[in-house]
Amino acid sequence: MKKGRVITRRDFLRGTVCTAMATSSVFSSSIDEDVGAEEKVKVILIRDENAIDQQGRINQAVVQKILDRGVSTLLDEENPIQAWKKLIKPTDIVGIKSNVWFHLPTPEELEMAIQKRVLDVGVPKKNISIDDRGVLDNAIFRSSTALINARPLRTHFWSGVGGCIKNYIMFVSTPWLYHGDACSPLASIWNKPLVKGKTRLNILSLIRTQFWGRGPHYFDRRFVSDYKGLLIGKDPVALDAIGARLLQLQRIAHFGEDRPLDTTPKHIFMADEKYKLGVSDLRRIEVVKIGWMEDSLI
Amino acid sequence: MRRLLFFILVVVTAVHGEFAFAKDRSNMKTEMKKLLPAEMEGYKSDGKDQFYDRQTTFRYMDGAAELYRSYAFKLLMVRRYVKPNQPSIIVELFDMGLSEDAFGVFSFETEGEDPQVGQGSDYGGGLLRFWKGKYFVNVYAEQETSSTKQNVLEIGKGIVTSIKTEGQKPKLLNFLPRGDVVERSIRFFHHHQSLNYHYFVAHENILNLGARTNSVLAHYLSLQAKDKTFLLLIEYPNQQLATKAFQSFVKAFMPEASSSGSVRMENGKWSAARSYRKYVTVVFDAPSQEKAEELIRTARKNLEGRGS
Repeated sequence: MKKGRVITRRDFLRGTVCTAMATSSVFSSSIDEDVGAEEKVKVILIRDENAIDQQGRINQAVVQKILDRGVSTLLDEENPIQAWKKLIKPTDIVGIKSNVWFHLPTPEELEMAIQKRVLDVGVPKKNISIDDRGVLDNAIFRSSTALINARPLRTHFWSGVGGCIKNYIMFVSTPWLYHGDACSPLASIWNKPLVKGKTRLNILSLIRTQFWGRGPHYFDRRFVSDYKGLLIGKDPVALDAIGARLLQLQRIAHFGEDRPLDTTPKHIFMADEKYKLGVSDLRRIEVVKIGWMEDSLI
Repeated sequence: MRRLLFFILVVVTAVHGEFAFAKDRSNMKTEMKKLLPAEMEGYKSDGKDQFYDRQTTFRYMDGAAELYRSYAFKLLMVRRYVKPNQPSIIVELFDMGLSEDAFGVFSFETEGEDPQVGQGSDYGGGLLRFWKGKYFVNVYAEQETSSTKQNVLEIGKGIVTSIKTEGQKPKLLNFLPRGDVVERSIRFFHHHQSLNYHYFVAHENILNLGARTNSVLAHYLSLQAKDKTFLLLIEYPNQQLATKAFQSFVKAFMPEASSSGSVRMENGKWSAARSYRKYVTVVFDAPSQEKAEELIRTARKNLEGRGS
């Protein structure tokens, strides 16, 4: 976007806005649209209908299974431990950045599944920590050499979408300073010394997704979907772009109309265009789909 | 020596200010605790009240805290009510500083039914939201059962009884054209992010909205046109700022209407804008130029009646 160019409602009416900055245009692009020979970023969408049982409990064994299969596919390895060895060394100090938002936290089953594989690689337990809001005071995170980023996908009051990029906001002591302009500078946090270059894997938990927000905490059980899946990749921007598209499709499926996000997830586009953290253009993202795909929408 | 005296003065002032602030906050906590009965409808407080201010409220509600911070929010008290074999009920009591802002944060969402609690209320999805005086309140059960709605409403009514003083709505509401206005569509806010939440105008803050501006947005329905027409009325601190914001808006949003003040938009509907003293009025999505101008004229007439 050129400096000084103001995008107004009228640009949308004219149809002259065609970037991700425009509320949902990139997210409404077809994933299958070809962009030529340019290399695509690979992300894995894996689902299992048994990830949540009849009582609403998350199945630990199934989560481990889909995590293993997803990571193996991403890294072209048969054996999940061999795949994890491509990500983590036994000498690494590993921070698993979780999310504790009490309405929809990173499932403990997912945290345990990740930790198990990091242990299997040979990292001693004392060199692994799972944390969210305490990362700045956490000795493991402060001295970490590798980070695994894992959080649920949801709509977010101030950033439009709460995904992988936003999950690192706890690595700064003044998060509110990043809330301006629809959280557009969020990706700048990924350049902080505590974080930069350390993230080996991003996992967007789609086991439950929140596709619409309401109420004091921007949470309403009516707008939570048991999607029973994971989105796995190395590029946090690509995962968030696909995640934003999924939430949009879930809103369309639920409401019968395209209800735009309350806040433009501008930070995803900015993470690509300004901060060069990854790829936000859906046409440049290859989604490898594995497992149960009923009503997958994507 | 002067520098030393100045330094001492700064330190003393800061310490005194901090002390006064802490005392003020302590008084607020005491006051808020009095407003929430220890026991209601067989539910008892779990005795673990939590308080959050403008800085710490992120720890409690993540980015959603920005909504409250966009108003004059002072302090949040969270109390959990427990009852054997019943889901806990959470009460969140916000001291919004001003009754106008308590109304403002309430007006942000009014999509549910109105259970007639306090000075304005909304119920949906197990959540009761209402305002009274300078307080805005959320009441909800951790899980919904067949009885939770009744319990939530009764607890809400109990809190309303405790809050003795009613507050006034923003005066700006008085200048809205009435007639076919949809009452539950009236929103009061300060920042442009809030405007975009309800009606997207532009990514940039082309109307120069902020903490010192008061804005009301409402929509109107006519029998002839089923679509909504929106009216935005903004009060700036002074006429100079209003004029500047008006010019900024016209330049970015309707440059071809700099002389006429109204324009047919790309969707076939009409927008119009005017600046009058310290106010700016904008109409969006009117079915005709006449309707847009009529709303602008009525708002102006109401403002003139104020004699400001």
